[in-house]
Amino acid sequence: MKPRILLAIFVIPLGLIIAAVPENKTHAFKLSAEQLLEETNAGIQYYSPEEIADLIIKKDPSIQLIDVRNVDEYSKFSLPGAINIPLTTILEEDWEGYLNQDVKINVFYSNGTLNSDKAWMITRQLGYENNYVLMGGLNYWVETIMNPESPSSTSSDEEFAKYDFRKGAGMALGGGAVISNEKKAGTAPIIPALKSKSKKKRVQGGC
Amino acid sequence: MEDNKVIKRSEKYMNPYLAGVFLGLVLLSAYFISGRGLGASGAIKSTTVSLVKTIAPAHAEKAPYYKEYLETHPGNPLNSWLVYQILGVIVGGFLSGALAGRLKFKVEHSPNITSKKRLILALAGGILFGLGAQFGRGCTSGSALCGMAVLSLGGIMSMMAIFGTGFGLAYFFRKFWVNI
Amino acid sequence: MGPLIAYDLITGSTNLLFAFLIGIGFGFVLESAGFSSSRKLVGVFYGYDTVVLKVFFTAGITGMLGLLFFSLFGWIDLDLIYINPTFLYSTLFGGVLMGAGFIIGGFCPGTSICAASIGKIDAIFFVLGIYIGVNIFNEIYPLVEGFYKAKFLGSPKLSDFLGISDGIMALVMIAMAIFAFWLGEIFEKKKKPVIY
Repeated sequence: MKPRILLAIFVIPLGLIIAAVPENKTHAFKLSAEQLLEETNAGIQYYSPEEIADLIIKKDPSIQLIDVRNVDEYSKFSLPGAINIPLTTILEEDWEGYLNQDVKINVFYSNGTLNSDKAWMITRQLGYENNYVLMGGLNYWVETIMNPESPSSTSSDEEFAKYDFRKGAGMALGGGAVISNEKKAGTAPIIPALKSKSKKKRVQGGC
Repeated sequence: MEDNKVIKRSEKYMNPYLAGVFLGLVLLSAYFISGRGLGASGAIKSTTVSLVKTIAPAHAEKAPYYKEYLETHPGNPLNSWLVYQILGVIVGGFLSGALAGRLKFKVEHSPNITSKKRLILALAGGILFGLGAQFGRGCTSGSALCGMAVLSLGGIMSMMAIFGTGFGLAYFFRKFWVNI
Repeated sequence: MGPLIAYDLITGSTNLLFAFLIGIGFGFVLESAGFSSSRKLVGVFYGYDTVVLKVFFTAGITGMLGLLFFSLFGWIDLDLIYINPTFLYSTLFGGVLMGAGFIIGGFCPGTSICAASIGKIDAIFFVLGIYIGVNIFNEIYPLVEGFYKAKFLGSPKLSDFLGISDGIMALVMIAMAIFAFWLGEIFEKKKKPVIY
């Protein structure tokens, strides 16, 4: 048999197969649904308001708060140092440098946890790491940090310690924890100059 | 008699389709291991940059091309993937030539032209190819072959430009290659 | 899993070692196929020897099918491999220069290095020529930079450009390749064999 015919016998069926199967659009080696479910159930994505308050007070440079609410809500108030990435725009390329990096710990927050959880799920499914969620969102934040409820006299010492911390943190953040951006009109939120540092970068090649 | 000779000679080479499949597998392994395709002109570029850097460091710092290249390619230009790959090509070509008994210093040319003329033509062709590979961001292997494997628009365009021009100009240079 | 380097499964130095091994395979196949002979190479342009066409297209479709199947099986992430960028004018102009260089010099860079390794003196001159050509480009770079970077289209795939799936694109390429092989063999039969 002619080599050309032999080659055709091999490659044409392979070509037909590859043309017939749907393209593999899912990215291999990112999370499977099972893994994602496991992580969600374990709640590993949550940071408690206390932890965050502590980090804000310490001005920890490794933390990056990300407000996933819309621009209007963000401009009314936001947490100190937070940047705004509305959930609807999360897949825009501009944000990739912030979301897909291994320098900072990103903490998503919204009013509750629903939208920030969505943001976390999306980024996690994309295989990004270092993204977390503020547990309970701003509502819980206001409840716990800004207006902590004093424990009843029968509460344990632990409760009191927690209350003291919350109260201290609330005072340290001086109500300014919920910053009104309208007051400091003109000052854009500080956006750190992060380079796109995606771990798995397209390989550089070519002649 | 002469026909016999032709058959014998061509038999010494691997069947082109088989060679193509092997080359495709080499290309595939390059993508699988290193995420990039094969190349040749890039290695020559690296050595050129390295040479200029060594013998005329002031020029390398001033001239825009070298400046840009050295900024985007940190480290020693010789310590690059393509340079190692080209060293491999030299070894691989030598091995195959040695096994087939084709190792020989010679100037291969059509009986119509002299060795000297052939060498001048080769040099001229090389200059054109060197320039073209820079504009095309890769040569026949780096741009056209890899471009075809990854279905790159640019790669397939440069492949068509290379072969299209080759066919288009073949008539004008026929005296250098074939008996008319 | 793949590309191994992008998933940090191998180190940078191992990658360079693999580059060397891959190069050996590359050089060996080129030489075995007869790409160390300029007269065999240019045969494609005169129709007396279409080995370039056969090897080149077979390699292209083998690589393409391999990548698509690897991607299908989840063995390689095609988003992480290098895809040649497209700068429309520069790519076309470069291709024209390379085509001219091919028909005049009888080699392309990869084959010339391979031919030089078995002692072809004309190939060594061709490699020297490439050095000179690259140097000329580097020196005139400020003059041509605008042209070199004009009409940047990103790194599009032909399939995206035409709006069809990679698989159908692959099938089209295979059909074209087989057709080209058939044409090539017809030409080869018609032409008088050239002895070299």
